[in-house]
Amino acid sequence: MRTANRVYGLRWVLLPPLTGMGILAMLVGAVVAAPTELVEGDVQRLMYIHVPSAQAMYLAFGIVFVASIMVLWKRDMRWDAVARGAASVGVLFTAFALVTGSLWGKPIWGVYWQWDARLTSTLVLFLVYAAYLLARAVSDPGDEQAARYSAVYAIVGFLDVPFIVMSVRWWRTLHPQPIVSRLDPQLPGSMLAVLGISTLAIFLLALWLILLRTDTERLGQRLLGLRAAVDRREEA
Amino acid sequence: MNATFAVVAKDLRLAWRDRAGWLTAGAFATISILIYSFAFDLATNDVRPLLPGVLWTTFLFAGVFAAGAGFQREAEEGTFDAMLLSPVSPTVIFLGKLISSLIALIAIEFALLIAATILFDEPLLTPELVAIVMLGTAGYASLTTLLGTLGSGPRTRAVLLPVMALPLLVPMLIAAVRATGGSLGIFGGDAPWTLLLAVFALWSTLTAIILFPLAVER
Amino acid sequence: MSDAAPLAIDTRALTRRYAGVDVVRDVTVRVPAGRKVALTGSNGAGKTTLLSLLSTLVQPTSGEAWIAGRSLGERSAALRRSLGVLRHSPMLYEALSPLENLEFFARLYHVPDAATRIEELLRLLGLWRRRHEPASILSRGTHQRLSIARALVHRPAVLLLDEPETGLDPEGIALLDELMLRAPGVTVLAATHRVDRIEAWADGVIRLDRGRVAEDTVSASVPHAGARA
Repeated sequence: MRTANRVYGLRWVLLPPLTGMGILAMLVGAVVAAPTELVEGDVQRLMYIHVPSAQAMYLAFGIVFVASIMVLWKRDMRWDAVARGAASVGVLFTAFALVTGSLWGKPIWGVYWQWDARLTSTLVLFLVYAAYLLARAVSDPGDEQAARYSAVYAIVGFLDVPFIVMSVRWWRTLHPQPIVSRLDPQLPGSMLAVLGISTLAIFLLALWLILLRTDTERLGQRLLGLRAAVDRREEA
Repeated sequence: MNATFAVVAKDLRLAWRDRAGWLTAGAFATISILIYSFAFDLATNDVRPLLPGVLWTTFLFAGVFAAGAGFQREAEEGTFDAMLLSPVSPTVIFLGKLISSLIALIAIEFALLIAATILFDEPLLTPELVAIVMLGTAGYASLTTLLGTLGSGPRTRAVLLPVMALPLLVPMLIAAVRATGGSLGIFGGDAPWTLLLAVFALWSTLTAIILFPLAVER
Repeated sequence: MSDAAPLAIDTRALTRRYAGVDVVRDVTVRVPAGRKVALTGSNGAGKTTLLSLLSTLVQPTSGEAWIAGRSLGERSAALRRSLGVLRHSPMLYEALSPLENLEFFARLYHVPDAATRIEELLRLLGLWRRRHEPASILSRGTHQRLSIARALVHRPAVLLLDEPETGLDPEGIALLDELMLRAPGVTVLAATHRVDRIEAWADGVIRLDRGRVAEDTVSASVPHAGARA
């Protein structure tokens, strides 16, 4: 526990340079090192940001889920800060995944938006977590009741994900798919290596952003507490 | 059980006294059907491909509309606190609220099905379709009842409830529309939509029952 | 629990924090059964929050409390049945009549002889004649009388009251004293601004100041129930 705390204390020393190096390696890998895909061309390089973003989204929403359970269980507003931090970063990466997906889709499908099963379920997830952020934002950061309500919503939302994914997939399979599988299951080794590096880099970036957001939310809560304490002292 | 029944009876009595709220939901639903008819010209064309979507969007909007209104009075008058103060467990309170809103919603939906049967000359009151409507309603009503109790103020509740509830209900909407279409002989495809609808209803009801007591704790 | 007089309300370092501020802080009080205690203090002193904590509506951040020997943490049905609560909001269904309101709450509390109990209360509080009218058309004072009936319908042993005099005329206040504040055998903890009236009903005062107990004429006289610490 003590070592864990010490490592956590070093987050601002360790995470920024690590993330920076990771992103640099990712850029070099994606733009220079990785071979050009034969059919799709250079646009396929978007995969190195698209796929990790989608995975970072699930990581962030998983954190929101766990933190929301802790809000209900431990009644500790610090978990609310974690949940909100992770949710806002999750929504950011969902947007990344949607935008890169559309840009990638444009030359392949001929349109920016195709009601592709994965893209559509990602959009629904975006709406769920945007609603979470909205619901939490209308009440003040120190409002414990609002934190509990939002936690309940986040838990329902996360448990809903399999239903969303499955229903959208079934819904789409009734229509001809323009491209059966965009992700070739047998990626060449060099592409796979770059994808691995990109995933690591994006995960580091997501983690750093989540910690930043969490600390910001936490400061907001403490500021509110301080203000209330000052008010109280002035009244006396 | 006795307490659940007491809450159901009280809520139905209130629903009857506050007819205005439910009538507004019903009127809203009826108007939606008319609006769809004008917008998509349902009167002249073959309505069958559009009918499942028209029916379910109408049901869903009316349901979300009613869920917010039903809880608002309870929160404003402090009677929700009064129920929480009583020896009755929050789960029982939730079940009572869920059952009473299911009864009211299914009544509205039946009225709409009858109206649509007449308006579009399409037999909609088949046993299969009635079962689909009931499953779908159970699926969305449990979540809208849960979410209706959330939200700090009446204003937030009215505005936020649709924004929060509808994305969660996408799977239920897709499944209900497809199952209804299947029952009307419109869509092909062999996905087990009715099964998905049933699993969703079961999941949402259980989740809501488990989370409601945690949500109302302060 | 070796005391001679059983404690109706027993709290240990009860604390409730909202947004970083301890609205109720380290409140330790012991109220023996049957005492009538006035809870005083300026606005925002934590009176309402303390009453909400004791009525199980709000969970404590830390500390513990027992009502008639039952821990608040259990939130048992038996504990809730022993409590009668008046809050700022009347907690009545405006669309239902006095009779329907009381019938509903009597069912939630499983009152055995509900019909006779309800009639008795409605007659005592002068509401019998208006028992079928919707609550929404009743006056402020009549609302408060109906709230009193609602809080008493299940014959609670401990009353937690927040400003019970609100809206009552002198006649209503006499009824409040008779049925609640001076009811024999019932323990009362009532937050009040009517300092002039405390003499008339209270046999003890607990004053809160910014969440803490500033004055307590009740607990000091009670021996420590050390066994349960």
